[in-house]
Amino acid sequence: MSGAVREIRTPFHEFEVGFNVIIDLIVPGTRVLDLGCGTGTLLQRLRDEKDVVGCGVELDQEKVIRSIERGIRVMTLNLDEGLEGFPDRSYEYVVLSRTLQQLMHPGRLVREMLRVGSKSIITFPNFGHWRIAVEYIATGKTPFCSTHPHPWYNTPDIHRLTLKDFRDFVKTIDGKIEKEIHIINNVARTSAFWAHRRAEWGCFLISAA
Amino acid sequence: MLRNAREYADSDGLYGRVNTQYAEFPGITLESGVFLGPLTVAYETYGTLAPERDNAVLILHALSGDAHVAGIDAKGKLGWWDAMIGPGKGIDTNKYFVICSNCLGGCQGTTGPPSVNPATGKPYGRSFPRITIGDMVNVQALLVEHLGIRRLHNVVGGSMGGMQALEWAVHFPDLVRSAVVIAATARLSPQGIAFNWVGRNAIHCDPCRVDTEPGQGHVFQRMGRGLAVARMIGHITYLSEETMEEKFGRKRTLRDMEGFLYSLGENGVEGGEFEVESYLEHQGSSFMRRFDEDSYLVITKAIDLFDLEGSYGDLVTAFQNIEARMLILSFSSDWLYPTAMSLTIVRALQALKKDVSFVELDLPYGHDSFLVSAGMPALTRIMRGFINGVWRS
Repeated sequence: MSGAVREIRTPFHEFEVGFNVIIDLIVPGTRVLDLGCGTGTLLQRLRDEKDVVGCGVELDQEKVIRSIERGIRVMTLNLDEGLEGFPDRSYEYVVLSRTLQQLMHPGRLVREMLRVGSKSIITFPNFGHWRIAVEYIATGKTPFCSTHPHPWYNTPDIHRLTLKDFRDFVKTIDGKIEKEIHIINNVARTSAFWAHRRAEWGCFLISAA
Repeated sequence: MLRNAREYADSDGLYGRVNTQYAEFPGITLESGVFLGPLTVAYETYGTLAPERDNAVLILHALSGDAHVAGIDAKGKLGWWDAMIGPGKGIDTNKYFVICSNCLGGCQGTTGPPSVNPATGKPYGRSFPRITIGDMVNVQALLVEHLGIRRLHNVVGGSMGGMQALEWAVHFPDLVRSAVVIAATARLSPQGIAFNWVGRNAIHCDPCRVDTEPGQGHVFQRMGRGLAVARMIGHITYLSEETMEEKFGRKRTLRDMEGFLYSLGENGVEGGEFEVESYLEHQGSSFMRRFDEDSYLVITKAIDLFDLEGSYGDLVTAFQNIEARMLILSFSSDWLYPTAMSLTIVRALQALKKDVSFVELDLPYGHDSFLVSAGMPALTRIMRGFINGVWRS
């Protein structure tokens, strides 16, 4: 079954649905800080579709340059070093899309996000998906799947967290979940049955409690 | 060897023939309060100023640069940033009107120590007044106004040019739409001051003859090679250890006819056994031929004095009026103006919620990375992307 799972193109690999979910959460004309902005795709769409004043943070040089070529404001910074220099409440939204699971110190950064932004939007692949769980039990090996496509010994995804893990985590950093969206088979849902086992991705809107 | 052809492979003089022009001004009052005039400013322009006069880009050169930034001059020499500026290049002359002038205190056409002091009829030499980066920028502003430009689309410079770009954004917020500050700092570090001090000391230690004529000041006649030594020190600070290793290693210069590695130069002076030595030797000697030592003293002093933090109390105060979209660029291997210094600028701009981008380029060539052709592909994309992005917005 792992072969079949691997072939699934998840919404976040296609970018479309994943970005749409984030874009839908953002009020037009606001300031958005995108952490791990990649080549600036999300910020470009936010600028064009929502008149957002954006800034990206990215460490990869090629991606930084691509962002600048798109006319996106960007900073070469390492997220594991925190958000020093960003004033409190200087953005309406701080976005951390598909990057949480790759950080060395996620707790430190998300606390910083709650300081810098009025609201934070965090998306991550759900390691609690039932197929992953079944594969784990059936094979006894760390599962491969479209949301976790790398072998354990060579992966940027150093944390394998579930939706339930994240809910607990938000409590420990004194945050509050304002909205929770699940992406199930390419569709964004808010109150799906058994979501924590069916969602490939979770998208959370959180703020300081 | 040296700044070899390969490093400047992108410098092809594509823009074609350019001539240095000269603008005359009555003078300016320096930040020290001293009046300096009349003034000549040497400059070159490339491309065409749009009817709206909104497409001007001002290039700001580093310590030893000049107005000839692109194209081919009368002597057939390529501009110092020709790889960046020209038709279709990073700063596209089909689109932008590019200006570059020799800085105040320089020796390549703009008023500086080698210029004749009208009061004495002799060159200013050591009597040239102390100037600052701010004075250089004020003179550039005279030129910009003279060219009929009300607002610059972009100002860009590296090293000392980066200090000027920053000063432009601080001093003339209404005149600058965007600024690119490359490998620069808001205040020269004590380490930087120290290197400049050693360089000036080399010049001061030169044997010289002083002719004193009543009422006409002093005329120094240099006899030594202090300026060359100063330049060699400078060059060490512009390169990274890694570049030196890769470029020179411990390679020896060519053997002489007897097969001796070690050679004595023309006057019994060591000519340089290792390639790195002969590289420095060449840099020093060629600098002697093209640069004026009093200009070196005046300009390095101006760099030493540059301290926006000290002048305004702190950087946040210094930057509070900035309107320009800022791009701060540093190089990972630059140990003279390291990334941390660029980050200090970035943090202060962030604190004020200014529009600032920050790029640290991972290039191994040290402080000089912005002039090395291997760094040009990345730098070209960044410059083009940034100034076109500002243009569209």
